[in-house]
Amino acid sequence: MEEKIRIEDLPGPKSKEELDEMKIPYEEFCKKIFDPGNEFSKPQALKGIRWMSCTMYIFTPHSVANLAELGAEVVKIEMPRMGDPMRHTSPFNEVYLYPLHDTRPTVGTGLGYTNANPNKYFITMDYHRPEMKEVFYRLVKISDGLTECYRPGTFDRWKQSYRYLQEINPRFIYVWGGGFGYGPKIFGGSYDILGQAHAGLASITGMPEFMGGYPVKHTNWAMDWYSGTLITFAILAALYWRRKTGLGTMIEFSQVQAATRILGYGVPLYGRFGIVRQRWGNWDTQLCVHGIILCGKSDYPDADNPQDREETRYVMVSAFQDADFKALCEVIGNKELYKKYKTHKDRVEAEAQVEIYAALERWAADKSRSEVVRILQDAGILAEPVKNMREVYESEHLRQRGTIRWLDDPTFGDVLVQGGYSTGLMSKTPRRVNWLWRPVGADNIKIYHEMLGYPLSTIKEWYEKAWI
Amino acid sequence: MEKGEVEITSRIDSLKLIDPMIRPWPVTPPPSREEVKKIYAKRNAEEFGQWCEDNLSFETSFDKPEALQGVTVLVIGLWRMGSKFASSLLAEAGAEVIYIEPPTGDPMRYLTPFGREEYMLEDKKTGEKCGLDFIHEMRNKYSITLNIESEEGREIYKKLVSQADIVIEEYPPGYMDSLGIGYRQLSKLYPRLIYCWIGERGQWGPDKDKVSKWGQWMLEPFGQCYNGFVNNTGFPADQLPRGRGGDPTRSGVWFADYVAGEQAAVNILAALYWREEVSGEGQFIEVTAAEALLDILDMDLTWYGFNQSIKARTGSWDPNLNQYAWNPCKDGYMMIGGQSDRLWYRIGMCIEKDYPQFGRLICEDPKLKAVAARNALEALIKTYTLTSRWLRDLNRLEAEQKLLEYDIAAGPLLFIDEVCEFPHFKYRPWVYTTESEEYGTILYSVPPTNFQVRTPHRVKWLGRRLGRDNYEVYQKIGLGQTEVDELKGKGVI
Amino acid sequence: MCDIIWCKKCNTVNYLDPYCFWNWEGKVNCAGCGTVYYIHMIQGFMYKGPEERPGEKPDISPLYADKPLEGYKCYLPGTPGRTRPYNCLPRSKYLGKAEMVKFSIRGKPVRGWCPQPPSSGLAGQFPYRWDIKKLSPDVWQEYQEKIKKGEVKDW
Repeated sequence: MEEKIRIEDLPGPKSKEELDEMKIPYEEFCKKIFDPGNEFSKPQALKGIRWMSCTMYIFTPHSVANLAELGAEVVKIEMPRMGDPMRHTSPFNEVYLYPLHDTRPTVGTGLGYTNANPNKYFITMDYHRPEMKEVFYRLVKISDGLTECYRPGTFDRWKQSYRYLQEINPRFIYVWGGGFGYGPKIFGGSYDILGQAHAGLASITGMPEFMGGYPVKHTNWAMDWYSGTLITFAILAALYWRRKTGLGTMIEFSQVQAATRILGYGVPLYGRFGIVRQRWGNWDTQLCVHGIILCGKSDYPDADNPQDREETRYVMVSAFQDADFKALCEVIGNKELYKKYKTHKDRVEAEAQVEIYAALERWAADKSRSEVVRILQDAGILAEPVKNMREVYESEHLRQRGTIRWLDDPTFGDVLVQGGYSTGLMSKTPRRVNWLWRPVGADNIKIYHEMLGYPLSTIKEWYEKAWI
Repeated sequence: MEKGEVEITSRIDSLKLIDPMIRPWPVTPPPSREEVKKIYAKRNAEEFGQWCEDNLSFETSFDKPEALQGVTVLVIGLWRMGSKFASSLLAEAGAEVIYIEPPTGDPMRYLTPFGREEYMLEDKKTGEKCGLDFIHEMRNKYSITLNIESEEGREIYKKLVSQADIVIEEYPPGYMDSLGIGYRQLSKLYPRLIYCWIGERGQWGPDKDKVSKWGQWMLEPFGQCYNGFVNNTGFPADQLPRGRGGDPTRSGVWFADYVAGEQAAVNILAALYWREEVSGEGQFIEVTAAEALLDILDMDLTWYGFNQSIKARTGSWDPNLNQYAWNPCKDGYMMIGGQSDRLWYRIGMCIEKDYPQFGRLICEDPKLKAVAARNALEALIKTYTLTSRWLRDLNRLEAEQKLLEYDIAAGPLLFIDEVCEFPHFKYRPWVYTTESEEYGTILYSVPPTNFQVRTPHRVKWLGRRLGRDNYEVYQKIGLGQTEVDELKGKGVI
Repeated sequence: MCDIIWCKKCNTVNYLDPYCFWNWEGKVNCAGCGTVYYIHMIQGFMYKGPEERPGEKPDISPLYADKPLEGYKCYLPGTPGRTRPYNCLPRSKYLGKAEMVKFSIRGKPVRGWCPQPPSSGLAGQFPYRWDIKKLSPDVWQEYQEKIKKGEVKDW
């Protein structure tokens, strides 16, 4: 008797829909499978994880924010009435969302607080109060982990460090994020800018000495955020391992060290040859032509805002392969340059780079940024303008991909969101941003009463005594 | 190596003098445990400090298990740092990472600063030179060669994928798909596969990744330029002349690639968690350098949405906090940080001792009384001008000691050699040496996740000869040595 | 004095910001009285100057100056004739104090002004809703007007 072959068992597409999916152009396929704008119909990767965020500023809160965007339930614990000190930071003291707390109607939360605490539940707690210890432990028993950033020894004195918490919850993952970790500088404060300066990153960023340059800071708090994500990685690895063994762990993470990690060849170069890498401005030490050049005219000479009027005149040009470099020299009408620097090894040397970029900038000196980009792109060379924030906002590319979008925040109204969705598209469990942040203690009842079971009268008492 | 007469006629001659055999790292030993104990004791954290050292120290790493043991990752991509960094993180955590290169090798192997071959490391056995950037990021990974342009190569690739949990791919958009080995095809064969694409701007969209007319790829810093990072970094043309320092500046490293790599690793592990705990299904992940870096550009875009402010670059000052910058001092640059009231006044007290005028001009000024008001532009100008006036007389060490007396977070701007020799960074290793079979002793930067109680992440080896693991890896998918040799002859491997 | 020029004629302190002036030679004007001073600064030290150069034109102006003896009355960056502009940040926007914003750039209401009427419950618990009709009816009205005029956009 012949066995009927089931179509499900044969390889290949099983339905017209699947067949179509295999045949449509790749771009369309990507757009369809990632489906930006439709994240909320799909599951969340870390649903079921609960985390405590005993954090401040950007570095440690961001490590937990990644978890919150991926679907974990995160409780953020702040100082009563004051909140996280980062709430009182705003660029040039200009931008705030109100209120911070109903008892202070003229104080808002500064925009410096953005992106570090999306999707979290905000409660307040004063750790100094011995009465709050039991509350803290109750929260620990039902959570998967916490992240803290207090000076080493502080949580230990309050009997909240890992060696105490692992007794009450052996599955607990405890993360300490700070400046330096154990060692002679253990009590050193941790700042993003300290990370950049101390770790050697600042010594390799900025215009070179001979051009009159100085070491320059990466914009705002790049190191804080970058190190925060590394902690998230460590947390997820620990979660994976915990599935096998049922054991939590403690992770001690130094922010300044994270900056040293990405120095690239700088460390081995010193270790083997004693050569100390220096700044090389907007050019690349290993590829030529691969740098940012100044054009003569900006793109919007009549704009009101000086950022548009003066600054939109930089182009990133990349033509390091021989064929590309040859075409570049032809476009700028300088075939001698190609004859002089035929091989990549010739043109990547320092003196050669100085000459080549000077020639490029001379050619661009009478053109605007978009002209330069257009000429180079028409010739088949890779060239792109250096964009400012307004141009990023107007980017069709980012809007279509759902990377930047407007959010109807439940507390604050219409805000423009750049984080969360931009960390990567996931086809089955996309990240999402529910809200940007909430006022201080905005979820006190939700957590203390509904999650932890304390009676309303007790909570009221704590609140009036400013214990929460 | 003999200590004889060394004639130095060029830079290249001097390099041998610093060889790790002659001048090993560290040059001076780190502080002793007793000395450090005293520091812990100053704040009653002696017992806690001991506990930390016993349970978290670097030296205990290799005694402990690995978090991602049993996870297999395939990496296939060229040129860029994104997939390399993502796979480094996974490899440091214990995953088995197989790095697939074309038979000629990843072009990044041949990159070296300023094209100087003397800065490349020579393979002791084959004499081949490899660039330091590639070696430094080739951590705990196996290297195999495969030519996916050929039909047979693609079949072999599919076999490799069948044994893998995760694939990280970094080719131009649609390339793997056009060869029939992209996500669409592989996910039908292996529904548990987690597939991650890392790039500069995207696989799709009006500004997706491009390739030049002659096939040149788009590398960093295109990602940095697209999202406003470069525009917002650097000295303003009001502080330094345009073209001589006052320009938008890119990061010294391929920063957006690193950020994309770490977010990719996070997304991958989240997908892995979801697969194991919940669904049994893999998925498609796309991470781009431009967007991942946009995520961490603080509030710059949200600020635009608020009142159309276009963020400007502010050099090494910060528009949100005062003091929070580095300023020039006698022998370099000194970073001083302190936003809160308490720290503000402490900085004042410290500087006033040497330069009383600072105290007068700063403390008397009514405009500098409120914390928020100190962030105004003019307040920053005034504060930093007077601070540099104080700093011009001090070198970094002196300034740091004076400031630390007042408990202010301050640090000198260190160069890489100073970083490698800084006492704290030797005690709790920031950099460390490893013995590479191919290249000898290499100094590398230690993963920050190396300090954990249960499963510290670690570097087991650095650098890998091209195709070194061909035989082992291919044997495990059923291709014996004879077949591998044949395929090598045909150019498939 | 270095890094600042304390003009004794009018008692104005002119701040010579680091990075720009750290290694610099040339003529700077006093923001208060306009006297032109020649200075040569090396590594932050005043190698030469400040020497008065009457009748000559300055090369550059200081970014900021104030008067300690007159209650710190000041000349902000971008004051014509006195201080040089800090062009990267338009003066009309960066005033150093919070801007009260009621609508985002696409015209929808955002809670960026103070004071805000209280809206929390017990222990600071906030609802998941900004009841703008109840809490700030005037802004809600204004929003309705904006919609009618077509000023509310998607982007």
